[in-house]
Amino acid sequence: MSTLLHPDVPIVPPPLPLEGIRVVDIATIIAAPFCATVLGEFGADVLKIEHPLGGDGLRRFGTPSQRGDTLTWVSEARNKRSVTLDLRHPEGQELFLELIKQTDVLCENFRTGTMEKWGLGWDRLKEVNPKLVMLRVTGYGQTGPYKNRPGFARVAHAVGGIAYLAGMPKGTPVTPGSTTLGDYMTGLYGAIGVLLALRHRDRTGEGQYVDAALYESVFRCTDELAPAYSMYGTVRERMGSSHNDYACPHGHFATKDGKWVAISCATDHLFERLANAMGRPELASSSTYGEQLTRLENAGQVNEIVRDWCGSLTREEVLERCYSTHTPAGPLNNIADIFSDRQFHARRNLVAIDDHRTGESMILPSVVPRLSETPGSIRQLGPTLGEHTDEVLRDLLGLDDERIADLRKREVI
Amino acid sequence: MVDVGNFLAGPYAASILGEFGAEVIKVEHPIAGDPMRHFGTKSPREDASLSWLSEARNRKSVTIDLRQAEGVMLFKRLLQKSDVLVENFRPGTMEEWGLGWAEVHAANPRIVMLRVSGYGQTGPYRRRSGFAHIAQAFGGLNYLSGFPGESPVLPGTVPLGDYISSLFGAIGVLIALRHQEATGRGQMIDVGIYEAVFRVLEEIAPAYGTTGKIREREGSGSFVAVPHGHFRTGDGKWIAIACTTDKMFERLSVAMGQPHLSSSEVWGDQRKRLADRDKVNKIVIEWVASLTREEVLDKCLREEVPVGKVNSIADIFEDEQFAARENLVRMSDGPIEDLAIPGVVPRLSKTPGRVTSLGPTLGDSTEQVMRELLGLAASEIAKYREQRVI
Repeated sequence: MSTLLHPDVPIVPPPLPLEGIRVVDIATIIAAPFCATVLGEFGADVLKIEHPLGGDGLRRFGTPSQRGDTLTWVSEARNKRSVTLDLRHPEGQELFLELIKQTDVLCENFRTGTMEKWGLGWDRLKEVNPKLVMLRVTGYGQTGPYKNRPGFARVAHAVGGIAYLAGMPKGTPVTPGSTTLGDYMTGLYGAIGVLLALRHRDRTGEGQYVDAALYESVFRCTDELAPAYSMYGTVRERMGSSHNDYACPHGHFATKDGKWVAISCATDHLFERLANAMGRPELASSSTYGEQLTRLENAGQVNEIVRDWCGSLTREEVLERCYSTHTPAGPLNNIADIFSDRQFHARRNLVAIDDHRTGESMILPSVVPRLSETPGSIRQLGPTLGEHTDEVLRDLLGLDDERIADLRKREVI
Repeated sequence: MVDVGNFLAGPYAASILGEFGAEVIKVEHPIAGDPMRHFGTKSPREDASLSWLSEARNRKSVTIDLRQAEGVMLFKRLLQKSDVLVENFRPGTMEEWGLGWAEVHAANPRIVMLRVSGYGQTGPYRRRSGFAHIAQAFGGLNYLSGFPGESPVLPGTVPLGDYISSLFGAIGVLIALRHQEATGRGQMIDVGIYEAVFRVLEEIAPAYGTTGKIREREGSGSFVAVPHGHFRTGDGKWIAIACTTDKMFERLSVAMGQPHLSSSEVWGDQRKRLADRDKVNKIVIEWVASLTREEVLDKCLREEVPVGKVNSIADIFEDEQFAARENLVRMSDGPIEDLAIPGVVPRLSKTPGRVTSLGPTLGDSTEQVMRELLGLAASEIAKYREQRVI
């Protein structure tokens, strides 16, 4: 039996904890759809409703896949069923309301007022299904003076305060790693909001909406930035590659082979370990740089010593010496490093999924977080446009083939 | 909920649930407490840094020494009364104290345990110390921040990976609580900070897997769209402009008073703009530099171009959207007067979360929890206190 060969693979797959939850995702690109993606990984039935012509813009955003859509689509629309429906069309709206009656969670990210214009605002949806949980994602939220402004993650990083902090001091602010970071963070907050709202619904039968703004998700993750300004008027500036307000050394250092390592000595104890790794334990004595305050006052010199040492060795050599003394250090991995890394392999952070249409497999980031009893899973890649329209209209809304053909002819679906 | 973690990665998940009404008991070492109390900028309260005041919100502090057998016994009794345990010690540490998953599960089979660490509970690097800074670098985010060919910079804030791993952690806890309520069974959630960060890097993995393309640093721009980045205004400030689609560029060209730029023969097509990236950016750079930040914003907003100030924290405190959405909550507590901290995210219409208190003083609720929750007599509490178990 396969269990003897693969004792870690159970014959009966473990239950998916969100089985029985239906999510309708009428959103586009990443922010609100990523909430649906996470719920789908844990078993929710996610119906992706798309415009009959073209569908979700994510199908055209970024590097093309072999199928003609894009890699981000194929990866992030995992586990979703695609249904085409024109929400601008009265008949489309009618079918949508029928679907909402059988839906637990709706995810949308149109500009504020758009759903209302179609007669599909919260008040109407709540009337049709009082138990509905609705996630609304926009750049600035459903309220406030900027609520109608268009907002992408790039703008949210700027408005939310983290773009200002990324880059060399006085230099051009840079993208904080990834231009879609704020989208993902908002998707995560959205999922938390939805799960909390489902808890409330299960207890009381009462639905509600979650109002998520891209800029707020980013701003919420800025540690002491706000209280420090509030109490002392401190305006934090760009930190470059080292952050030496509280700890030194703490930053990125180049190695002899042109690669980079991160080293972080938050405490005196950790600096002592680094001094040992560098073969210069005397640096950690109280008369030299043993104390954080002394190191912070002499950050330039301390960083130079670490920089010179890193520059004299390869990345592997620096890391080996740091690990041998338990100094917090690690490589600045690029994606090639990641693909060859033992930890990523051991944790199966990359999974190859076969495309059931082309037979080609694609490597995707696997499910986070990891649950011991009810783990999530990737059951299929992003669907082609309208791949599941017929089955959903037939099985869920009870439409016959004739009606479906008619709707298709008129481009309602 | 019991939170026995240090700093942010994991404990922030407890903060979120606390904002929505969970009772969060922070278990700390009787003498040292959570090191976040002393990390970063100090506050007028000697036991609390600003990060502690803000991020240890809505908690009760209870001191228990988990290095002592009696401390472990008390801790297990506390677990029997709890739904969720959050921890972020180096993998193996809880096991050394006899508080690994097996023991925790035995103490309370319904409990949900969230474990956050730099590299996760398994794999060859699990025992390495993994601060956010290191784990973020390992997960691939730091490599991407900065200008091409130059030193990679920190991606905005240092503990970004701590927050992101906590968001995934909170999702795991909420899902596990659903399962717990349906079946009575608890489980363990294992999050590596590095993998939480790696999970949010959109197409980087499939692109390398399919084409071998290694994403490099992109400065203030993006490889998918032009113009898409940060531009300096005439008054020395910065704004972000994001023309993700052709339609957005059309609006920008109108805002710039050069509508011909978005005709199909010129740069109406994203592919043409990508091919002429430097030329397109140069025009935008010059236009933005010829105006103040307010002028650029006005002109762009009138045409509905996606645009925003690159806000410093001073800008944020003056911003009317932040004010209207109450993104800054002001709290006072003893010597702390009117401290502004970030408000609750996400915003729920029927059952909104709230901040009820700033980070507690060390052990402020030890007495109460020992007496009311664990049913200890005053004499027992005194004895444990004397032995520094609590």
